Amino acid sequence: MQDLVHSLHPLERKVIPFLKSSILFEELVEKTKLQEAECIRAVQWLENKEVLKIKTDIKEEIILGSLGKKYLQEKLPERRLLEQLKKKKLTLQEIDVEEGEKNIAIGELKKKAAISMGKEIELTEIGKKLLEKEFLEEKFLKVLPKETKDFTDEEKLAFENLKKRKEIIQIETIKTKTILLTELGKKLLKEKLDFDLIETLSPEMLKDQSWKGKNFRKYDVKINVPKTYGGRRQPYMEFLNKIKLQLVQLGFKEMNGPLIETEFYNFDVLFQPQDHPARTWTDTYHLKHPTHGKLPNDLVVNRVKNAHEEGGRTGSTGWGYKWDPEIARQLMPRAHGTAVSARQMVKGIEIPCKYFTISRVYRPDVLDATHLIEFNQLDGFVTDPSISFRTLLGMLKLFAIEIAGAEDVKFFADYYPFTEPSVQISAKHPQLGWVELGGAGIFRPEITQPLNIDTPVMAWGLGIDRLAMFKLGIKDIRYLFSQDLKWLREPRII
Amino acid sequence: MPTIDISLKDISKLIGKEVTRENLEQEALLWVKGEIDGEDGDTLKIDCKESNRPDLWSTEGMARALSPFYTKERGIRKYQAQPSEVYIHVDRTVDDVRPFITAAVITDLTITEDLLKQLIQLQEKVSMTFGRKRKTVGLGIYDNDKITAPLTYKAYKPTELKYIPLGFTKEMTLKEVLEKHPKGIEYAHLLKGHERYPVIIDKNNIVASMPPITNSETTGKVTEKTKNLFLEVTGTNLEDCKVALNVMACALVDRGGKVHEVTIDYGKERIVTPDFTPKKIKVKFEDIERLTGLKLTLKELKELLERFCYDVKKAKDCLEVEYPSFRQDILHPVDVIEDILISYGFNNIEPVIPKIATRGELSEFEMFCESLRNALPGLGAQELLNFTLTNKETLFKKMNIEEYGCVEIANPVSSRWSSIRSFILPSLMEFLENNKTQEYPQQIYEVGEIVIIDEKAETGTQTVKHLSWALADKEANYTKAKQVLDFILSGLGLKYETIDEENPSFIAGRCAKIIINEKKYGIIGEINPVVLKNFSLEFPVCAFELNVNELYKLRKA
Repeated sequence: MQDLVHSLHPLERKVIPFLKSSILFEELVEKTKLQEAECIRAVQWLENKEVLKIKTDIKEEIILGSLGKKYLQEKLPERRLLEQLKKKKLTLQEIDVEEGEKNIAIGELKKKAAISMGKEIELTEIGKKLLEKEFLEEKFLKVLPKETKDFTDEEKLAFENLKKRKEIIQIETIKTKTILLTELGKKLLKEKLDFDLIETLSPEMLKDQSWKGKNFRKYDVKINVPKTYGGRRQPYMEFLNKIKLQLVQLGFKEMNGPLIETEFYNFDVLFQPQDHPARTWTDTYHLKHPTHGKLPNDLVVNRVKNAHEEGGRTGSTGWGYKWDPEIARQLMPRAHGTAVSARQMVKGIEIPCKYFTISRVYRPDVLDATHLIEFNQLDGFVTDPSISFRTLLGMLKLFAIEIAGAEDVKFFADYYPFTEPSVQISAKHPQLGWVELGGAGIFRPEITQPLNIDTPVMAWGLGIDRLAMFKLGIKDIRYLFSQDLKWLREPRII
Repeated sequence: MPTIDISLKDISKLIGKEVTRENLEQEALLWVKGEIDGEDGDTLKIDCKESNRPDLWSTEGMARALSPFYTKERGIRKYQAQPSEVYIHVDRTVDDVRPFITAAVITDLTITEDLLKQLIQLQEKVSMTFGRKRKTVGLGIYDNDKITAPLTYKAYKPTELKYIPLGFTKEMTLKEVLEKHPKGIEYAHLLKGHERYPVIIDKNNIVASMPPITNSETTGKVTEKTKNLFLEVTGTNLEDCKVALNVMACALVDRGGKVHEVTIDYGKERIVTPDFTPKKIKVKFEDIERLTGLKLTLKELKELLERFCYDVKKAKDCLEVEYPSFRQDILHPVDVIEDILISYGFNNIEPVIPKIATRGELSEFEMFCESLRNALPGLGAQELLNFTLTNKETLFKKMNIEEYGCVEIANPVSSRWSSIRSFILPSLMEFLENNKTQEYPQQIYEVGEIVIIDEKAETGTQTVKHLSWALADKEANYTKAKQVLDFILSGLGLKYETIDEENPSFIAGRCAKIIINEKKYGIIGEINPVVLKNFSLEFPVCAFELNVNELYKLRKA
């Protein structure tokens, strides 16, 4: 009991003195002089503590409608008609009842067999008797308001009849709350409640030590509280950071490049001929503004040009066309992550080296649950004199195991314009099954030789988005760039 | 990447062994870099990833390449063209517009509906992909019995000559064909700006075709009744024309046809097509070993290459190999080495994990961005990742500011994604707009890339990282924004000032530029209700945006 007493909120303590074995809620509000909302809260808390029970009754009450009120004073139209007919027979036109009520009045009297209809309307014998007698409906209107459950049989009849007519009566549902004290409540009433409980501990109390010797109000620690949201990192960003960390652990160095690139880095350095179908408008975005950039120094440009035209000094035949620096100067949003590798190789590298980049790339497509218009690619390259196709397969296998958690790998021949030999890797993921993990190859000599790189260069790109979707538990690829705050706020640990 | 239809029954007949979807999928297709993309009864749709090998883009070509896999056939398949009197005179007028032509006559062919389908499929794929949509190579097929040799390949003025183009009934001038015929309209750009258009005309002055637009109705219609075919390839590069002709001719020979030579008279020199002489390339043994990482004996190499339709000629200091005349994809010995590897089987190679000692390293700038990203969740802010693609309406109009230069896409798929953002705040505003039904306060941020125009820069632009933060709440105000800004800038040990700024995205008098050492690093303020309305927001928003690249420079200095 003492625990209960000490857990009472000030509002509850205000309510308790006015409780009795049964009291209407409205009465309680009036007596406590509390706001209705405060009183409800207090009563609900007390109900949770089993001090009282709230009994809700719903009653249906019939009250007078706007016409009903009028008819109570001016009599029902059928009564007025009846009285007019007492004096003489009347034609339809002669009846002196409001237009809207004329037909109702005639109809009602006909139902009661009080009139007979001919050219003129006249009273029947029953009608004459009715002149002296009150209609059921008239009696009914006088007893209103009345609860439906208390109706007599006659009243029920009158009610059914009037219900069909407009605005004479109204049905009202009234909820009443009755507060009933429980046994515990009755005991609580006998307790002394007017002692001092500390509601909020204030800095002043701490300072003057006034909290000493007083009791703190006990809280309901089981209470449900409103939700709050912490700030969080974007889940896909967290996923990408993990991948970065894994690559750094494998000895890779991060490289970057601009979002807008010249075709030179997107394609030309990579030995993709200028009329290659992948360079057309349907496969890549082009810019309206700005349109052209600059090429690097002539030495590099000329070597790339020679490689395209006749293979340079690589022993290759080249593509055998006239290379156009104007096309190479055209700007476009980065089409693939290999452009970042191209830039890094032109900038200069040490041998051996291992590079990676997570880069945003753009593709003309329609955005939907399976296609993005811009997305991140994970690419990189490795160079060392020891590199061969076997070590390329070894590196890919390592990626599959370390990054994708793969159990097994399979290799397929593939075609990429920049690499020869080229390979595609499929990885067997424990839950996803076989997934295409990425593509790789050894850069063609027409790419590396013009850049003065004499060692073989393994280039690789991994498709990590399917893995990300699996890790984040999403089916819609757009959620990698989620616009859904509710989803972003959900607790999850990547 | 062409996709071709292949009937299993048909390819089995051509190879002489049963070909099934299973045995194709398990191994054979890997040889030709093919991937099954669909199935309709007996017909498979196959993606040919090898976009430089038109010889593979037909059932005949696939059958030829796969034959050594299923049978004992090895090395280069022999093709022989019969000598003939057919002759094409090339007039110098074509030099400026479409200088090269190659041709062949095919006889003894039983033309069936299926064969016609295959023929048209191959013609289409070769012209579209290998011929760059007919620009560099275009193919024509005629009823040989309706044309009379010798022929002339000559360019005529647009109104000088008339003929009935394929599918039409009336004669038209060359100009009219470009204006009215569907293929004329589609390919007119290839002849645009030229004074004369190329035409193939026969001994009796009957026009056979107007390459690369369309054949004539009289000679260019091939049906099941056609007995003998005349093939012609025109283009801008003779080598490509030869390859395309050989691809077509070999396919028809594989179908039982006999091929006959055509002499092309270029005036200065004469050539005879088709020429099936194999091409040669030398591959050094040490290059094979270095690139494959495999130690292969000469015998093994010979077997691997012959299974891939090569002939091995000499093997002293290096391997001298011959490959079929229709292959154009071998530019360098590495291309042969890849074929050796495919023939060996990628999955028969034991991978070796490379042991290359390098030091892993994150980009220092990226790490700086990460430390900013990690600072904000502690204040209750949710990190976002938004697209950099947007549109000018969102960037400028909805933000209530004057338009300035930004990156614009010339060929957007949707106008919704037609520009690249020049600041991040509009992305945050859109995010708030998308989340109006979620609980407030909504505190969000992004550290991401934006692009600004810089004509002097190498790429005409600068890719810059910005940090943008916003709070939407009934109590969002300047103070709250500045508290967060201060948390970041003080955290970086920077002394800054906020000085009155007028910017219509923000409420006048409640907006400031962020100044460090007299230089602007960003903007802060309460968002203008006009902007809130543009994004249909019903809560006040305060926000700021900072240039992270510039902050990084300060930090480094």
